[in-house]
Amino acid sequence: MESAVRLPILIQGSKSTRPEEEKMPKWAMVIDLDKCTGCQACIVACKAENNVPHGSPEEQRRRRDIYWNKIIAVTRGRYPKVQTELIPMPCMQCDHPPCVTVCPARATYRREDGIVIQNYRRCIGCKYCMVACPYGARSFNFRKQDEMEYHRPDLPPDPGSREVWPFPVRTQGVVEKCTFCFHRIDRGIREGKRIGVEVLPACVEACPSCAMAFGDLDDPQSPVSIAFGSRTAFRLREELKTNPKVIYLPR
Amino acid sequence: MERGESSNMNRRTFLKLSALTGAAVGLHQITPPSSVVSVSHPPRKKHGAFEEKWVPTSCLGCSGRCAIKVRVVNGRAVKIVGNPFSLLSDGKVCPRAHVGLQILYDPERIGSPLKRSNREKGRGIDPQWSPISWDQALKEIKDRLRSLREIHKPHQLLMLHGLNSKSTEDMLFRFGEAFGTPNIVSGDGLDGEAEKTGNWMADGHHEFSAYDFDRTQYLLLFGADLLESGRPLSRLLRKWGKIRRERPSRVKIVMVHPRYSVTSAKSDEWIPIFPGTEGTLAMGMAYVILQEKLYDKAFIERWTAGFENYKKVVFRFPLEQVSTITGIPSYTIQRLAREFAMTKPAIAIGGKGAYALPEGSYHGYAIRCLNGLVGSIDIPGGLLYQEKPNYKTIPPVAEDQIAKKGRKRPLIQLGGSERFPFARSVTNQVPESILKDIPYSIEMAIGFNCNFMMTAPSTKRWEEAMKKVPFYIHLSPFVSEMALYADILLPTTTYLEEWGYEHSSPGAGFAEMRIKQPVVQPYGEAKSSTDILLMLAKRLGGSVEKSFTSLGEGHEGFVKLRTSSLMDWKGLLEKGVWVGPEYQYKKYDRIFNTPSKRFEFSSGNLETLIAKSGKRGERQREDRHRYDAVRFLGEKESYPFVLHPYQPLMAFEHGSQNYPWAQEIYLPLQGTGWDTPVEINSETARRLGIREGDEIWVESPFSKIKARAKCSEGLQPEVIAIPSGQGHYAYGRWQKGIGVNPNELIGVDFDGISGQASYFNTRVKVYKA
Repeated sequence: MESAVRLPILIQGSKSTRPEEEKMPKWAMVIDLDKCTGCQACIVACKAENNVPHGSPEEQRRRRDIYWNKIIAVTRGRYPKVQTELIPMPCMQCDHPPCVTVCPARATYRREDGIVIQNYRRCIGCKYCMVACPYGARSFNFRKQDEMEYHRPDLPPDPGSREVWPFPVRTQGVVEKCTFCFHRIDRGIREGKRIGVEVLPACVEACPSCAMAFGDLDDPQSPVSIAFGSRTAFRLREELKTNPKVIYLPR
Repeated sequence: MERGESSNMNRRTFLKLSALTGAAVGLHQITPPSSVVSVSHPPRKKHGAFEEKWVPTSCLGCSGRCAIKVRVVNGRAVKIVGNPFSLLSDGKVCPRAHVGLQILYDPERIGSPLKRSNREKGRGIDPQWSPISWDQALKEIKDRLRSLREIHKPHQLLMLHGLNSKSTEDMLFRFGEAFGTPNIVSGDGLDGEAEKTGNWMADGHHEFSAYDFDRTQYLLLFGADLLESGRPLSRLLRKWGKIRRERPSRVKIVMVHPRYSVTSAKSDEWIPIFPGTEGTLAMGMAYVILQEKLYDKAFIERWTAGFENYKKVVFRFPLEQVSTITGIPSYTIQRLAREFAMTKPAIAIGGKGAYALPEGSYHGYAIRCLNGLVGSIDIPGGLLYQEKPNYKTIPPVAEDQIAKKGRKRPLIQLGGSERFPFARSVTNQVPESILKDIPYSIEMAIGFNCNFMMTAPSTKRWEEAMKKVPFYIHLSPFVSEMALYADILLPTTTYLEEWGYEHSSPGAGFAEMRIKQPVVQPYGEAKSSTDILLMLAKRLGGSVEKSFTSLGEGHEGFVKLRTSSLMDWKGLLEKGVWVGPEYQYKKYDRIFNTPSKRFEFSSGNLETLIAKSGKRGERQREDRHRYDAVRFLGEKESYPFVLHPYQPLMAFEHGSQNYPWAQEIYLPLQGTGWDTPVEINSETARRLGIREGDEIWVESPFSKIKARAKCSEGLQPEVIAIPSGQGHYAYGRWQKGIGVNPNELIGVDFDGISGQASYFNTRVKVYKA
């Protein structure tokens, strides 16, 4: 069977201290909640980029619709002193990802550059990772194989031509999640482009208020490091020690 | 062009600078990432042949009409991004632009002209469409049109238009003129006429305002949902990010609004206000500013007129009274007024909720005057006057006697008549006029991509009226609600398949024009509205045909001709955007189109019109400055709540909502899509025994609808809010039967001056179903 997504094959848990590994970047994202307008351009751009199937009223009712990135609203207070925070929630790409720990099939793993990837070919659909994820970043694909393209007649007819921008073919019965648009990053590196400046994940690229920054957290000159250092930052559910690499700047 | 490059340079330098100085100076910002798209390289030819291109064109998700670039692979549009050459929004686009793919590839678009077989019309009645050829369709339309001209009654043709390209608009106005009908009705009367008229009363510009967000220091929003229904949306989203954290000082934003909207949530302060009293609040703030002498004396002395008179009016609204009317404590009003007047430059912006009211123009005028009071007129960081691109002028139409006589007939929308002496566009008057033959009967109507049946208040009247029109032709890519009433339905292209030129609704100040070019082949036999008009004109012959002969070859030729005064054609096709000269501030000696040639606190423009219009105008003179009470429809005793219909960001303005990407994230604050929950203050709900998720009836004196209740902490207790944009019943697997349309509940009322339809003055009651 043709592979669902062409995933780069990486050796997990390799502890070698080769010199190249020291140079391995640490991809991270900073989301400035003061600049964010809650417009959801990131959500739609992600769906378009990654061929994430759209939901339906029925699926939303049963909470079965798939999002790799979703804005959640957290409301506190009572009228008239009310405060709602709209928070974009991609996968947090934890340094200590609970999903990886619990996966019995080793289908999900952490790349050396810190991106947590789901290998659809190994996934057995047990959903342990979904339970383990403290951020609800993972979705299970309930969709039938015959709805593969999910009413996306805009996709090029010849799957071969999708190579140029890998609209992944979907797989039923597996868990899927945000990839930090690793396909863009990997291609960018191959082509010698500056990641975080010239090459961005689809959500960051689409953000009209420029509330999101992406790049190498180990590089002090990267946009993401500059944003991170600009003011107090926080990460979601810090107490769980998952060390997320999606960092928020408060209002 | 040069401007674009220099701006890019600035951005680069800025990037470098912030990288260098970031740590030392502590710039509190994220530097905007470069707008370079990540895949601009030639594709690898590994998996067979494929063709890839990026086509610059223009979006039409709203009247912002942003410049976009579309990635086309093997003849399919697969991705939409912003065009970095556009300075309006620094090359950024709003989420609606991305959904363009689903507009283009809507599975239920129509591919050929359709003719109705069922002569009966109405909601829920199957028109029994049968496909016909373009030749046959155009012949039938032409015969009808020609016979109208033969009996010297071209004015009995009604042309309705919704959201169309600027080029299509220009073309259809020309067609109306050449044909001889004065009845070309746009959706303006549903949208912003009151705001425009308020502006016109102050400075003579019957237009929305542009705002210099880049340099402002304070934003006071009177119900202006900038982040949802504001326009041009992409600019507002981009600038919001900019003014928050990309400048040394962070701009404070205060939102006065009955509803805790996304914009309220993102503002620094949300101040709930009783609906419809935004103009009163503006007067109360003016009271504080005048009393404490915080106004801009230099500007007022040199460049304004009627200040003494204005003072008298304002002092009729002492703080305590304003506080009672608006429900805002007087110390809050005082504080806001001081902040607004002392933080310079500051901008006050009103939203539809403040204007779409019976006295909307005056409310608009009050907010405009507040800006004048602090001198935020045409200064860096203040209000700007939008410049327009100078398209090449085209020869005047070849009118014959029939057309000339027809054009002189009174308008069926009654603008300029006894009923609406000052109005220019009274869209919502059209159904009454059709039903009662005021001032004459309508024999034939053509609708261009409009869907007033969903968007206008009191939707039932539109259904009755369209039923009565003997022959209706609808142009649209899909079977919208209005299309259900068509005798002939012509399939048009979406904005990604046609030629055109566009410029934004006011926003940036400087002029900017975008080209629109087909990125893919049109679906089926769909044709652009402009091409259809050209074909009709040709078939009609005579002076109508003559009016269109010297406009270039077809639609493309027309666009080429009109834009030739701005930029060379090849460059335009490649770049997609033309940017006008840098904006000049403080053009006080020539910017005010008022009798005194100054900014007028006491409107000379209105006085002139009142003087001209005699008796009817006198009532307006008395009505003036009626800020003490809003005229509501329905008695407070039996209908205790005020209905607040609002437009979420993901609502499209072209008459369809059949786009799952938009539908599933329709209401971010509620965390739901595919629905229109009725928002009700949680305390009020508790009092009424309504719980979250209950089915409830919302009943106005005119109609009632059933929906699910959503208890909210972010709502003024006397308000019931329902999102608009849903409740479609005509077509579409992703929209049909989803949600309700609050416009069904709203009664018919107008702003007396501008003819703007009132949306926010209907009272309702709610009870469990």
